[in-house]
Amino acid sequence: MATTATITLSSDIMSGFGGITNTMTLREAGTTTDIKETTGYSRRKLAADSKVDLITMANTRVDTTATTTAAKVFIKNIGYNGTIDKTVGVKVFINAVEIGVLYGGDWLMMPAGTTADAEDIEVQPDNDNAVVLEYAMFFQ
Amino acid sequence: MATTTAAVTLTSDLLSDALSVTTDTTCMKAGTSADGLDQMRMGRNEIPTGTSFDLLDATTAGVDKANKVYIANLSTDETYYVTIVIDAKAIGRLYGGDWMFIPWNMDDATHDLEVTSTGGTNTIEWVKFHENETLATQAD
Repeated sequence: MATTATITLSSDIMSGFGGITNTMTLREAGTTTDIKETTGYSRRKLAADSKVDLITMANTRVDTTATTTAAKVFIKNIGYNGTIDKTVGVKVFINAVEIGVLYGGDWLMMPAGTTADAEDIEVQPDNDNAVVLEYAMFFQ
Repeated sequence: MATTTAAVTLTSDLLSDALSVTTDTTCMKAGTSADGLDQMRMGRNEIPTGTSFDLLDATTAGVDKANKVYIANLSTDETYYVTIVIDAKAIGRLYGGDWMFIPWNMDDATHDLEVTSTGGTNTIEWVKFHENETLATQAD
């Protein structure tokens, strides 16, 4: 039961940059045991510029006090109704601290959920226009 | 226009209907669909245990500009990890073999991206694609 993620980066900003390809297998903390739990692949429509919980850790993790767990979060801004707007974004937070902005089409993959309290994943669109996020979390 | 693309393939057989997601994005300057990120920095660091280090310093000039950050933990020991911290908030852990890719938004000049090594000396590789960085004036 394996979960893998492969990233490929390419850029012509620097002439000497040959690109990066890297694959990771998602594993439980500090082990070679494959991660076993997931939220599944989900989709959420947002239509207001207020901050909301995208992933509430207390609803996913069995033990929210454990300090040696591993989790990876994938989020993608897929726009709305087939229209991807690169000029408008959705801010992503962990427990009120901003990570960054996912503009239309952008995605992120990051570790999450390692501290004792519930470090919820929150999102906030730039405006009231409808936008849809696809996301999944893999965790133990 | 410089072109930087980030692609990911995510596969998992945790669910009875296997998950396979492939997507890519072209990394643009903040709030535009016409101008790609045109600056980058990359590096490789050995992170000793016991101290938190600034990997990427937030700057006033970088506030609300677009940044995409890739970090990979090249350690081969699965018990080693690097804690990723943004603006004093622990985001998560990159264990040996893990990578992350995030939009990093400096919402103020203290929004540094920091790393702390645990288990032993971790080797990381990182790339930041960004805009609007100017060289600091010579101080001495």
